[in-house]
Amino acid sequence: MEVSSLPISTAQRGKLISSGYTSISSLLSVSPSQLVQDLNISENEALEILRVASWRSGSDKIDRERRLSIVNGAQTAWDMLNEEESSIRITTSCSNLDDILGGGISCKEVTEIGGVPGIGKTQIGIQLAVNVQIPSDCGGVEGKAIYIDTEGSFMVERALQIAEACAEDIQEYNSFQTKDFHACHIKVVVVDSITFHFRQDFEDMALRTRLLGGMALKLMNLAKKFNLAVVLLNQVTTKYSEGSFQLTLALGDSWSHASTNRIILFWNGDERYAYIDKSPYMKSASAPYAVTQKGIRNSTSSKYKRVKLM
Amino acid sequence: MAPLEALALEYPLIDSNFRKFCASHAIYTVEDFLIHDLYALAAFAEQDCSPDKLKQGITQVLSILDNQNRPWLNGLELLKDAEQKKYLSTGCERIDVLLQGGLREGHVTELVGPSSSGKTQICLQAASNIAKNYSGMVMYFDSGNSFSPKRMAQFLNQSFNPDNSEVDQILERVMSSILHYSVFDIFALLDLLHQLLHDFKSQMCFQVRMLILDSLSSLIAPVLGGGGAHGHALMVSTGFLLKELAHEHNLSVVVTNHMVAGEAGASKPALGESWKNIPHVRLLLSRYHATDSRSISILKHPYLDTGKTVEFVIM
Repeated sequence: MEVSSLPISTAQRGKLISSGYTSISSLLSVSPSQLVQDLNISENEALEILRVASWRSGSDKIDRERRLSIVNGAQTAWDMLNEEESSIRITTSCSNLDDILGGGISCKEVTEIGGVPGIGKTQIGIQLAVNVQIPSDCGGVEGKAIYIDTEGSFMVERALQIAEACAEDIQEYNSFQTKDFHACHIKVVVVDSITFHFRQDFEDMALRTRLLGGMALKLMNLAKKFNLAVVLLNQVTTKYSEGSFQLTLALGDSWSHASTNRIILFWNGDERYAYIDKSPYMKSASAPYAVTQKGIRNSTSSKYKRVKLM
Repeated sequence: MAPLEALALEYPLIDSNFRKFCASHAIYTVEDFLIHDLYALAAFAEQDCSPDKLKQGITQVLSILDNQNRPWLNGLELLKDAEQKKYLSTGCERIDVLLQGGLREGHVTELVGPSSSGKTQICLQAASNIAKNYSGMVMYFDSGNSFSPKRMAQFLNQSFNPDNSEVDQILERVMSSILHYSVFDIFALLDLLHQLLHDFKSQMCFQVRMLILDSLSSLIAPVLGGGGAHGHALMVSTGFLLKELAHEHNLSVVVTNHMVAGEAGASKPALGESWKNIPHVRLLLSRYHATDSRSISILKHPYLDTGKTVEFVIM
């Protein structure tokens, strides 16, 4: 291919040709600094020319295939971006909460939710286990849930209540709902709670750290490999820092790195709030929610606003 | 040391005749060859019936040995080499200023900080910026499922000129040159690094600018400690593999590390003392209490002042 076909300015094109760079392939082997010297242009210009040339040459595509084959199981960010855009999230049934979460709990990620007793951790856990089953016609994930209960807090009566409310809501929007649907894939694993067994009987704290670290990686692997959401419920503890005691999630500093997203639930006056403490792509923000008879819903008394706390 | 016979397979010049000649001077291994007076050996070769072949053999062995050794470099050559290594801009102006231009090629840089202090954000931003502005691939090893292509696209869109009509094409090109790989245990990581090293050696056209490992500490935490030195060995060999990759193939390597509780409630970087001297550059990140502003300071650097701190904001 000829240099003249490149979308660059005529002055640059002239310089290229007069310096002997007539074909695009001649540009591919040249370094930016070399081009700066030969053409007497700025480095940015040289980089831009080389970028355009390598892109135009189409060698990128072939290279890409080869590069992908080099590291097994690798994916380009572009493919992942397209994949991510088509993925469906598990709704929390509280639109304010969904808003700050970017649509709900995401698959392929480990989300940790923690807060003081009675704030509604288990309620959110049960709600997610129900919501994951919403059929795909209604915008759901249509999957199964695994609920790992370490504290004996899973209440089947409560799950029934939430499930009935959820089914009613679905029928309200879709009148022609078929009664039975067959979810086949497991889409969410809820661990309620991750803390309990690690808070007792540990004399060797280094051993605890190792076990927690190993477990975190296993959960990550599970989430990625089977394209499911892992939701871990955690308790709180007090931490002494900067001269005062503060509430933080339990299991220590190194565990705080173990999850992809971290959501902290807290009381603000009479209202329950969720705060995004850590996430690779969501802004830290907080939103109110309420625990009603039907499950997790929008808080009725409030306007959606941002509150700084914790 | 290997016997001379071992070389015979690949190099036909070292035939039985040559080996017999060497054996007559008590040279059986490569080591014997090295400590023997080579001028004397060449003189003896002259007296043989086929002196040229023997001399060729001697030169052959010498050239094999030369290839095995790294060449000696003096300070001037090293300086020239160092000047060629570029600083890769992270995309965050303040951090670039702090590091006199950005992340250096050939360096292993460690980002350390507590949870949500911005380690992953810097990794994502640097990866997208470097893939955009420099040719070559960015490899991203992820152990926490926190690689977010959406966030990267956001960083890229911020940096684009809105008038540019080719935004989508550029986005595709940039995102296609970022390679993501999930690793969930240290052995898989070591396998990958060995494979990379091997691939780089065999085909030179495969160009990688940067390697990011987020996070290293979560891979090492499950094996470190517990009485055995096993975990330490794995950690240090990972460190040296990363350094070798960075040095030999001019990559900029970035790893992240977390903090653990130290003495008297203060926190310190994880992975202990023996990790401390592996990365060339250590940067400490911290976040001001639940706000968007963060600070970054130099804990260790080969030629910049330690303790320098700048504040930055993640947009």
